[in-house]
Amino acid sequence: MLSVFEESAGYRSVLSLERLPDPQRTHVMWATSKDFGMSGLRFGTLYTENQDVATAVASLCRYHGLSGLVQYQMAQLLRDRDWINQVYLPENHARLKAAHTYVSEELRALGIPFLSRGAGFFIWVDLRKECEKEAVCVIMCASVKYNIRGPALIPRMKTKHRIYYITLFSIVLLGLIATGMFQFWPHSIESSNDWNVEKRSVRDVPVVRLPADSPIPERGDLSCRMHTCFDVYRCGFNPKNKIKVYIYALKKYVDDFGVPVSNTISREYNELLTAISDSDYYTDDINRACLFVPSIDVLNQNTLRIKETAQALAQLSRWDRGTNHLLFNMLPGGPPDYNTALDVPRDRALLAGGGFSTWTYRQGYDVSIPVYSPLSAEVDLPEKGPGPRRYFLISSQVGLHPEYREDLEALQVKHGESVLVLDKCTNLSEGGLSIRKRCHKHQVFDYPQVLQEATFCVVLRGARLGQAILSDVLQAGCVPVVIADSYILPFSEVLDWKRASVVVPEEKMSDVYSILQSIPQRQIEEMQRQARWFWEAYFQSIKAIALATLQIINDRIYPYAAISYEEWNDPPAVKWGSVSNPLFLPLIPPQSQGFTAIVLTYDRVESLFRVITEVSKVPSLSKLLVVWNNQNKNPPEDSLWPKIRVPLKVVRTAENKLSNRFFPYDEIETEAVLAIDDDIIMLTSDELQFGYEVWREFPDRLVGYPGRLHLWDHEMNKWKYESEWTNEVSMVLTGAAFYHKYFNYLYTYKMPGDIKNWVDAHMNCEDIAMNFLVANVTGKAVIKVTPRKKFKCPECTAIDGLSLDQTHMVERSECINKFASVFGTMPLKVVEHRADPVLYKDDFPEKLKSFPNIGSL
Amino acid sequence: MQSWRRRKSLWLALSASWLLLVLLGGFSLLRLALPPRPRPGAPQGWPRWLDAELLQSFSQAGELPEDAASPQAPHGGSCNWGACFDTSKCRGDGLKVFVYPASGPISETHHRILASIEGSRFHTFSPAGACLLLLLSLDAQTGECSSMPLQWNRGRNHLVLRLHPAPCPKTFQLGQAMVAEASPTVDSFRPGFDVALPFLPEAHPLRGGAPGQLQQHSPQPGIALLALEEERGGWRTADTGSSACPWDARCEQDSGPGQTQRGETLPNATFCLISGHRPEAASRFLQALQAGCIPVLLSPRWELPFSEVIDWTKAAIVADERLPLQVLAALQEMSPARVLALRQQTQFLWDAYFSSVEKVIHTTLEVIQDRIFGTSAHPSLLWNSPPGALLALSTFSTSPQDFPFYHLQQGSRPEGRFSALIWVGPPGQPPLKLIQAVAGSQHCAQILVLWSNERPLPSSWPETAMPLTVIDGHRKVSDRFFPYSTIRTDAILSLDARSSLSTSEVDFAFVVWQSFPERMVGFLTSSHFWDEAHGGWGYTAERTNEFSMVLTTAAFYHRYRPPPCPGIRGSEDQRPPPRTEQGSLDPRNPGSRPRSATSQLWDPGLTSLEFVFSSVKWDGFTSQGWCEH
Repeated sequence: MLSVFEESAGYRSVLSLERLPDPQRTHVMWATSKDFGMSGLRFGTLYTENQDVATAVASLCRYHGLSGLVQYQMAQLLRDRDWINQVYLPENHARLKAAHTYVSEELRALGIPFLSRGAGFFIWVDLRKECEKEAVCVIMCASVKYNIRGPALIPRMKTKHRIYYITLFSIVLLGLIATGMFQFWPHSIESSNDWNVEKRSVRDVPVVRLPADSPIPERGDLSCRMHTCFDVYRCGFNPKNKIKVYIYALKKYVDDFGVPVSNTISREYNELLTAISDSDYYTDDINRACLFVPSIDVLNQNTLRIKETAQALAQLSRWDRGTNHLLFNMLPGGPPDYNTALDVPRDRALLAGGGFSTWTYRQGYDVSIPVYSPLSAEVDLPEKGPGPRRYFLISSQVGLHPEYREDLEALQVKHGESVLVLDKCTNLSEGGLSIRKRCHKHQVFDYPQVLQEATFCVVLRGARLGQAILSDVLQAGCVPVVIADSYILPFSEVLDWKRASVVVPEEKMSDVYSILQSIPQRQIEEMQRQARWFWEAYFQSIKAIALATLQIINDRIYPYAAISYEEWNDPPAVKWGSVSNPLFLPLIPPQSQGFTAIVLTYDRVESLFRVITEVSKVPSLSKLLVVWNNQNKNPPEDSLWPKIRVPLKVVRTAENKLSNRFFPYDEIETEAVLAIDDDIIMLTSDELQFGYEVWREFPDRLVGYPGRLHLWDHEMNKWKYESEWTNEVSMVLTGAAFYHKYFNYLYTYKMPGDIKNWVDAHMNCEDIAMNFLVANVTGKAVIKVTPRKKFKCPECTAIDGLSLDQTHMVERSECINKFASVFGTMPLKVVEHRADPVLYKDDFPEKLKSFPNIGSL
Repeated sequence: MQSWRRRKSLWLALSASWLLLVLLGGFSLLRLALPPRPRPGAPQGWPRWLDAELLQSFSQAGELPEDAASPQAPHGGSCNWGACFDTSKCRGDGLKVFVYPASGPISETHHRILASIEGSRFHTFSPAGACLLLLLSLDAQTGECSSMPLQWNRGRNHLVLRLHPAPCPKTFQLGQAMVAEASPTVDSFRPGFDVALPFLPEAHPLRGGAPGQLQQHSPQPGIALLALEEERGGWRTADTGSSACPWDARCEQDSGPGQTQRGETLPNATFCLISGHRPEAASRFLQALQAGCIPVLLSPRWELPFSEVIDWTKAAIVADERLPLQVLAALQEMSPARVLALRQQTQFLWDAYFSSVEKVIHTTLEVIQDRIFGTSAHPSLLWNSPPGALLALSTFSTSPQDFPFYHLQQGSRPEGRFSALIWVGPPGQPPLKLIQAVAGSQHCAQILVLWSNERPLPSSWPETAMPLTVIDGHRKVSDRFFPYSTIRTDAILSLDARSSLSTSEVDFAFVVWQSFPERMVGFLTSSHFWDEAHGGWGYTAERTNEFSMVLTTAAFYHRYRPPPCPGIRGSEDQRPPPRTEQGSLDPRNPGSRPRSATSQLWDPGLTSLEFVFSSVKWDGFTSQGWCEH
């Protein structure tokens, strides 16, 4: 497959055939020796449906095992698809083709018959004629170009020279190879990305002996806040607004007697540090770091010796009373009273802890994290859609306090089938599996699968406030009912738990059923979705937990670049579906501000002057801006311009681009902008003033005069532009339209994709682009004002030939399709209404009307 | 000759090869001789341990079943919501508030605040039925402190409301009482239990309140970037280009360019820097908010007002004062889109929660009610986007889709069907033609007839495919706005039996309503005007160039109507009584827009419009106008 160099030849794998004629006797083999020229690696694959063949080959493998190094390198090589597809294959094909062409030309010149095919490394050559002449047949190989050069060149010389040359070149070649080995072999191993990270065993880490009298940090300071205990100067100026995190090297701490202080490192803490190390936050330069993470594992307080761990912390090179140090702890406290925060004295260090209570949690300083559930990685619970489930409420915790269990069982008695209270299985024979089993009387249930059968799942306080079951419950898409007074829920600083959980005070436990029953079904479904989303985003792996923690701290340090509530809490479906209108405040601009008219012109001076004169009659006009788009011609002299009552400013552009009309010029001081073409001379000042009044009521919309529509063409399966007089409108042309000047900024700087360039290249459709942009950011429809339908001057109608119109329509339709594909959706909204003055066409004295001079169709 | 040339080329090739050999070999030898150093480009990460898979988990499975918990919750020195508030008293009808009467003579302010709480839907006169007992501690400035009330009960379910943080000598222990206090320090504030209030100036209006001062969405070119709050009061604008850290006196070399503006007026600036050390500076915070100047708080030591529900990251910036350059750079580089969003949010928050003392108090009660409601509290979206939680009541629904305001943020659209509610008044003729016309609409889901007159219900009704419900109403006009449980659609078409409409008129009006679900869309208009002769507002249904109301005799509106909250939308006591049945309903939601700045006190909350919607193709002759009857 990889050696098919003829472009015209299509390749089809045998394996892609739907049915093989004789699958038992069809075996597909592939190896890297040909396609990658790596014959030395002896690496290949066999694909067969024949069980016997597979067994036979597998038994051979025992004696032909591949070294781990080779396997690893192969995996790395094959994984790098970008390199294979974009670098290796094209180059390989080009070389093969060149070699093939060369050989076939030579063969043709020599008159040797051969089979020419557009693939492979070999050429079938018919040497029967030659073999008859000479005793030895030379099989030519076309694998690489210089290989064929050899036999072709050298025989032409005299034998004396040949030997001389060959000897000389062999010496040089040998030397080069030797150097090359020297040079590239160790280097190539180093350059492979994972190789510069040392591979060592955890057992080999250096041992540090802690003297019994080494200093102990002070206990945690409860009054710490970011602005008192955190040294923000270390974070300095950072253009990317990202904190830098340093991880101390792993050491093994022992006391005076050589007894280890704790387990060196747990699997989860290793994962956590790996995740940090792989993230953008990581730095290996201790001097540039803003946050320090000790490699001393304090995830579980029960596995460590408190005093000695504290001593180990205190001797870290940048400890400095724990400033800017971050400790991760998921299981705090120990028997009998189970503190809700890590008992290790840690002075000012930040604590990312699972199971904080309101009294130990330092608001805005500590981070509350979840207790990781190892089941998250072990069990794959597919997402289950929201909706009613078999059980309404389930309790699956083991080791509950008898009082709580009594309360729950009372609920079960009262509400029957819909409540399920599970306990650990006592009658199961094997011990290992019992963690994944729960029992109710003699019924055995699989845990955590049973959680998916329930709408609500009880998460009760155990000895500790933080429970790993919370993670399992969220994974099952079950709404957690958290009954743990004073518990600080994980990441509560940023996550809105009201959307995903129900918190019930412990004393209300008997009412839990009625409390849950009062929640409307739609809200429950919302909560189920939200619960699963929280798990996916913040609970499912140690990596997710670590990165969310760092993000929270990062947001505190760079608050102006912080992630918003919506980004933290909205599930992806909502994020994509929603529109956040940039002008969300229903604020009516004062009429006194008026609007700025922007006329884009090229050279139609006469018509331009007429437009200027007409527009200047509008009472609310406050400024007129002429965008002179003609670089070859100067605008008329000042004295020639019409004298108008408002300031008139001519802006000369550097290039004749349609986008110039939407540039956010500094001269625009009003919020309202009237874009008007230099040939729109028929609009009366009443019409324009009326349009401005309508815009003030809808400042976030395009309010314009010529209305257009987009339609779905079922025959062509694409969008079509429609300018006919229809019942509906989805666009207004910016040849005459009011809009907010903010959209100028958006058009110029935030237009998605290459729309702007497309418009400038085609010299068309800038108005459609603006309609798309506004509809996309606001999610609202345009407003067409006044009944007027004809906008071309009467004398220009002759030019508007039918054929010109046709190509115009095709081009405009193309624009709509192009823009819809760039935006990824069709943002335009269709409406069936337009705005008219209140007394339009009313049987009422004309002179008493506010806007008497509204043109007809 | 040939051989010479060959030899020459040979030597050339040879020497070149040797050179290459020496170069390459030399380098490798050199590299061997020197110890390898980590290259600076690629950071050395956390090592990949060969035995990583063999490491033990932090929590062993066997260890997990812990000792059973003691039923006593872990307790600490201070109160939290679960421990110190008894919600069982609030179970019946939500939050009921009893206010202790003042013991002695009370000030005018006190009196009016009392009156405003008494007028609210939370108030009750019986301390036994109340679930929250409110202790006003307002008159601190006059030197009077309230004494321990009778039902104190160690402060359980009590809220001590202190609008002005004048230190009152503590005559009694607060105990388990919650404290609603202006700008409490972060150290004494108990999150989720206490309520942080804004620091209100003395002259803060009790009701109504001035609208936000932002006149336009986008900042005008040429206005200052920064305004600095001065210790002595007043503001100073700063040129960000020159001084590196304008608020830090130590590094301020030239205070020349900054101009000091004493007094209350705020300079026209985009950002207002407010010190976080002095609680008095908190009053500046509100001032900046009103002016649409984005507050930049430097390491605040006090809690932001209503931080429990308001997402301040959307309206203000909390920065670290220790990084002046960074903050300054961040402000300068902030995208116009972000500035625009922050500015608009300041205005919304000011208007929704802070512009009057009454709003502040109602917000406080709403916050506490949300805690009691638990799951049926306002979602964050309702608090943090217009029109705000005081107008989008959680008692109606907690799902944003049920309200007309949040379709965009939710990516939803208004429902495509409506219910027609026909009110049959005194003459008492069954509106047969009207029912036929409405039933013909493709969008109609059901028809309700509200029989509201003396005559008995007719026994037969026209045959329609549409479900028809007849309700025997009382004789009250406002019955038509009662939220009947039979109405299942979001849109309601309110009709009088006497109205005459065609099916296409109904259809058209409905599609217009779908574009503006937060507004009332109707056929008949009327307007209000200022009657100089009577010194009050007048009402007219005559044909004018503009209108401010549509009559509910034929109008579409959303099932959710904001409840009448006295005082929240202006000063009702000074407002002329609403005329006729139509006047009781504003044409649009009052919270959805700020009032015009000129007539704050007398503004009835209506805005006049000068346009009507017509069908796109309508030319004025071929058919009857949609809006003229």
